[in-house]
Amino acid sequence: MKAAHSILVLGIGNYLMADEGVGVHIAEALSMETLPPGVDVLDGGTGGFHLLEYLQSYSTIIMIDATLDNKPPGTIRLIKPRFAADFPRAMSTHDIGLKDLVGALQLLGSAPDIQLYVISIPSIQEQGVELTPIIKRKIPALLDLIRQHIHRILVDNNAVPVIA
Amino acid sequence: MSKRIVVDPVTRIEGHLRVEAEIENGRITEAYSSGTMVRLLEEILRGRDPRDAWAFVGRVCGVCTSVHSLTSVRCVEDALGINIPPNAEWVRNIMFCTQYLHDHVVHFYHLHAMDWVDVVNALKADPKKTSELAQSISPWPKSSPGYFSDLQKRIGKFVESGQLGIFANGYWGHPAYKLPAEVNLIGLAHYLEALEWQKEIVKVHAIFGGKNPHPNYLVGGMACSISVDDVSGINAERLAHVKQLLDQAKVFVEQVYIPDLMAIASFYKDWGSIGGGLGNFMVYGDLGENGYKDEKSYKFPSGVILDKDISKVHEVDLRKDDEIQEFISHSWYEYKDGDKVGLHPWKGESKVKYSGPKPPFDYLDTTQKYSYLKTPRWNGHAMEVGPLARVLVGYARGRQDYQEVVNKTLKDLDIPVTALFSTLGRTAARGLETILVGQWAMEFYDKLINSIKSGDTRMADTSKFDPSTWPSKAVGVGHSEAPRGALAHWINIDDGKIANYQLVVPTTWNASPRDGNGKLSAYEAALIDTPVADINQPVEILRTIHSFDPCLACAVHLYDENGKHINRISILGD
Repeated sequence: MKAAHSILVLGIGNYLMADEGVGVHIAEALSMETLPPGVDVLDGGTGGFHLLEYLQSYSTIIMIDATLDNKPPGTIRLIKPRFAADFPRAMSTHDIGLKDLVGALQLLGSAPDIQLYVISIPSIQEQGVELTPIIKRKIPALLDLIRQHIHRILVDNNAVPVIA
Repeated sequence: MSKRIVVDPVTRIEGHLRVEAEIENGRITEAYSSGTMVRLLEEILRGRDPRDAWAFVGRVCGVCTSVHSLTSVRCVEDALGINIPPNAEWVRNIMFCTQYLHDHVVHFYHLHAMDWVDVVNALKADPKKTSELAQSISPWPKSSPGYFSDLQKRIGKFVESGQLGIFANGYWGHPAYKLPAEVNLIGLAHYLEALEWQKEIVKVHAIFGGKNPHPNYLVGGMACSISVDDVSGINAERLAHVKQLLDQAKVFVEQVYIPDLMAIASFYKDWGSIGGGLGNFMVYGDLGENGYKDEKSYKFPSGVILDKDISKVHEVDLRKDDEIQEFISHSWYEYKDGDKVGLHPWKGESKVKYSGPKPPFDYLDTTQKYSYLKTPRWNGHAMEVGPLARVLVGYARGRQDYQEVVNKTLKDLDIPVTALFSTLGRTAARGLETILVGQWAMEFYDKLINSIKSGDTRMADTSKFDPSTWPSKAVGVGHSEAPRGALAHWINIDDGKIANYQLVVPTTWNASPRDGNGKLSAYEAALIDTPVADINQPVEILRTIHSFDPCLACAVHLYDENGKHINRISILGD
């Protein structure tokens, strides 16, 4: 059953492709923290179709992914895609499965509220499992944004007392 | 006069594939297949602990994640002489079957069906007639007129809103679409049902692999523990859940996937003489009834068929230095000994050297190097791998289970056996092996249950897990039959670390560029002579390429140099 304020923080990306895997790094970092009840974290990797169950099981998905959009590397943006077409065009190698999924969820009438944080990564990148310094430096700020976002949702749902 | 058209990337596949084709008088006369992303997984693995390799290769892509991990632990176990306990064999085989059931259904409905099913036309279907048709081909219960009518209304609203979503890239209304509106509507309904169903079957991976996506594997066995009463291990409740999921999968395959496949195929019999290609087929084999090491007991027998001659099956040896080799005469790599030599994967090199045109460019210089894929060869022959290869080798080896499903299909569709060598044959073979895999999954499940009942709860042999027990140098090879075809990993271990790791993946066999002798690989060969009615909408190219179920995410890896991921078809020159 869907809890009224169930939230999934879903980091996606390819861990083998340096900055492309930033979403996975974020999921790893958050999974070490104690988060409020009703909030889960998932390393979605390059899961594509395997993620449908998760997308249907939460009322809000906070998704984190890298994008190649020619903006300055490390730029963080929050997008609220309603349709598959609203996703940034160049979302790396796993984009096909993911966009299809969101499109399919629309058809099934069971699309969750997706809040997508995208981080611009350099178009030419290092390969490997380490993030490049410019992206690595942005991790604490992005983690903060996500924590605040979770808190805001919980406050809006009266799930936690408002901290003055 | 010929026109060259470019499809880049080919949509609805994982990873990045570019196809350039010369078209003359409405038919393809030349075809070039190019992997447009570079892969450097080999570099990432060098110097790492071999026991960790499965976790890295499992990240290669989201579609075949677990089969790479499986192949990796097999190659390390081969190098170190590790024998895994029977339970681990059965669990691995159940997960393997699960992946097939998931992958082939998803491929059919979500990656391939839209090449044959016209979604927009489905809106014109008569729900009552659709219901009658559905009930005449299958006992599947969701088939009432009201069901189809509701669905039509829902999709209609979606299309009217201008948000085609998943269907945005189709060539709707193209004359190559031949299905009656009612069949299109059934296809669309099952597209959505398959989507809901596929999320169930993958739970088997989470049960045995601890998580999904990217389940856990272990060198020496599996990382789960059997404990019939324990809440945290593989207990009676979880085993019953696995059985329920496998039962449901079998029903879905037999009552939805196969009837749809047959109904759709009956309108596209002309594709039984298009897209045949090489006629050479190779299978490494998998799913041993007595375990992986007993190759004679494989449900998927190994072998090679040359030149469509199914009266003879040749043996395959992955260890022989001159049998499987990779060439780079048309690939953006360099070898120490130059472009002319072929290297067995144990001696494989992965040094990338891009020498193609500087982006943006109109077309590749296909007389030179033109792909990030190497060109693998078996005894110098180009090979097609995948479902058609497996079904043909099983059939040619006289296996009764294969002959039954194949002969029934040929009879029902009223097509000759030669029609198997085609785009239609490839797509049909995928369905036929899914029926078999659904049956085999239950056999392996029963083996696991019987083993547990006999009191054997061993899931791993860790006696050689400690590197101090290893020789200073070791080499190994592990293989499997990934849904897309023959897959193998080769490893060289020096002083407990990975010195070299080479993957030769199915899509490399199929999608590679031609070799130094000008011999085409499978995609290129299959496209020759394919009709293209409208060069602005080459749905025919997609049909043949998608019939192979391309997965470039592992064949080539990483980014497009230009950061360009725009779906486009360009038509160049005259």
